[in-house]
Amino acid sequence: MVKYYLGLDGGSTYLKAALLRKGAVTSTMVCSTGIDNNTAAKKIVEELCKQNQISPSDIGYIMATGYSRKILDVADDDISEITAHAYGVRVTAPTEYRPGMVIDIGGQDSKIIYLDANYNVKNFTMNDKCAAGTGKFMEVIAQILETTIDQVGPLSLESNAPCDINSTCVVFAQSEVISLVARKFDRRDILAGMHLSMAKRIIKMMKKSEKGGDILMTGGGALNIGIHKAFEEEMMKDVYIAQYPQFNGAIGAALIASERGGV
Amino acid sequence: MAGRIHTNERQRELFIKKSTRVARSYLNRAKALPGLPDATNPFFDALEDVYIELKDLSEGESKYKKSIGTLCVMVPSELIYAAKARPVRLCSGSYTAYSIGDDYIPRDACPLVKAVMGFGQIQALPAFDQCSLIVAPVTCDCKKKLAGALETVKNIVPVHVPPLKREDADIEIFLRELYRLVPILEEETGEKITARSLAEGICIVGKAQYEMSRFLKYRKHDPALVQGTHVMAVMNAYSYMPAERWTTCMHRLNLEMESRLQKQQFVGKAKQPRILVTGSPIAFPNIKIPLLIEEMGGILAADETCMGERGLYDPVSVIDPGFDGMMRAFASRYTKPCTCPVFVDNSQRIYRIKQMVREHKVQGIVYHVLRGCLVYDYEYQIMEEEFGKMDIPIIRVESDYNEEDVEQLRIRIEAFIELIKLKEYAKHKKGRR
Repeated sequence: MVKYYLGLDGGSTYLKAALLRKGAVTSTMVCSTGIDNNTAAKKIVEELCKQNQISPSDIGYIMATGYSRKILDVADDDISEITAHAYGVRVTAPTEYRPGMVIDIGGQDSKIIYLDANYNVKNFTMNDKCAAGTGKFMEVIAQILETTIDQVGPLSLESNAPCDINSTCVVFAQSEVISLVARKFDRRDILAGMHLSMAKRIIKMMKKSEKGGDILMTGGGALNIGIHKAFEEEMMKDVYIAQYPQFNGAIGAALIASERGGV
Repeated sequence: MAGRIHTNERQRELFIKKSTRVARSYLNRAKALPGLPDATNPFFDALEDVYIELKDLSEGESKYKKSIGTLCVMVPSELIYAAKARPVRLCSGSYTAYSIGDDYIPRDACPLVKAVMGFGQIQALPAFDQCSLIVAPVTCDCKKKLAGALETVKNIVPVHVPPLKREDADIEIFLRELYRLVPILEEETGEKITARSLAEGICIVGKAQYEMSRFLKYRKHDPALVQGTHVMAVMNAYSYMPAERWTTCMHRLNLEMESRLQKQQFVGKAKQPRILVTGSPIAFPNIKIPLLIEEMGGILAADETCMGERGLYDPVSVIDPGFDGMMRAFASRYTKPCTCPVFVDNSQRIYRIKQMVREHKVQGIVYHVLRGCLVYDYEYQIMEEEFGKMDIPIIRVESDYNEEDVEQLRIRIEAFIELIKLKEYAKHKKGRR
């Protein structure tokens, strides 16, 4: 009997789960992390089993990743987000993508992973001391502009003249946005400016020597078309989007789980 | 004024409570790593005496007339031993002293100078307070301004270190500085520095270096015979122990290493990623980077830092055994082979690290940058390029003197160790095909 393999990505904002069978994604699920990661993880495993009409014993191995990876009792082992994301793109990258760079925009951090031709991690850079350039930043700005996180991307694409947002800190950028609102700037222009400023921040993190190769975006941030376009504009090249971007870490963890469990 | 003294007393009391707690927790974590050699006990005791017991360092050490504080690796300890004094290296990693020093030093300065300044202000660490004067080499900008700032609380002798060291004239500058130091040290201890006492000083430090060089042979062994965090503690203890006692303890440690080698008794599992640490100083109790590397399953196989091997690697080589000849040998030894990035041309550092990578079978490099430590950050770029060519992964980790960044450091170091493991696994798989 072919086993299922489960990856759990306990992020700062959401808990993501991905179920794999024969190296392909069978099912994904997401819930808010809340304050009790452990219970949330137990519930999500039960839900996934119910949805796929399998029993927990059909799952060969559970691999955890993300901030709370070390405290999830349901998991058999854990792996860092970097390795998980690097594995995830083996499944989620579009076929034309030649491995080079992965940009992951999460709720509270963003990271850049450099891959060799065989999808092995060469190196990585992380930003997690500052919220600028993360999903949290988008959320804060969306709130000020009285819109929702899923609308910021499409709205910003309607902009003709993106505003300049120069502050590199979320708190200051927030007050900068407020003053732009007060000066009656169009919120679509403000959003477009926000995406450009985020992209610039993340590009600054990139290693100069690694700017060749294709770029793939993962993480919840990749769901935002506005930031995608901003990256293309700033990098002056095509940027690919992973399939199931939000679940990339969980899928990677599940893939590693399947290697451990012997596929 | 009475009120102020009272506040200071209370502040000192709280300071001591907090700083001993931090030091104890790091000592315990270091000791908890598997494979602690019994012979490392005296080194851990020395750190405990300084940071937890707050002991009077002169107890039982009556042969030394004075304690002379030093900063950086450019102060010849031989010269201090020649004046019948003992050097105490004051570069510290105290988080608690750092938070005191933070009030006196600009925000963007490095935490190490803040910690030293903190000890100067709080006057709660006998090891620091007992130093009757501090020899402060003028090296990076932070140390330079620290020398000036400390003058309000301590007797400071700044020593000019030439930023260039290619020409004889550059070394002459440093030689003049060392000559200037001679009467100052003599006056401090009342002991004349002679050719004979200089030679004795060279012997004292030379023996320590000899034991160190023997120890390096064991440290290069793969699988590892000793955890690098334990080695960092041993090396940090050199700051506070008289060299002769340190040498005796080191001799015992070498015997234990030899016996481990004979019995093939290794500290870790096979195929543990072997990591080299280089960059900004790793001073006790700020040993979170070595600890994280080894707690996350790596082995710290080598270090190229000024609180570690760098200080004891190169011996003084005397060509002319006269007084001036020995002084020249110091001037040369404490500048030319020194791989501190304060020198304009520091290309030998990369050669040295490449040599260490080869000899210690290093698979990855953790490049440590203390916040505000510009000179080390400058040299990161070239390291990344050079080791990129050699296919040795390198990661830059920035840290500060507090525990708030531990989780961020942990994920980086954990992922870095996984990266090396997977890289080796991929190589292995390819080889089998």
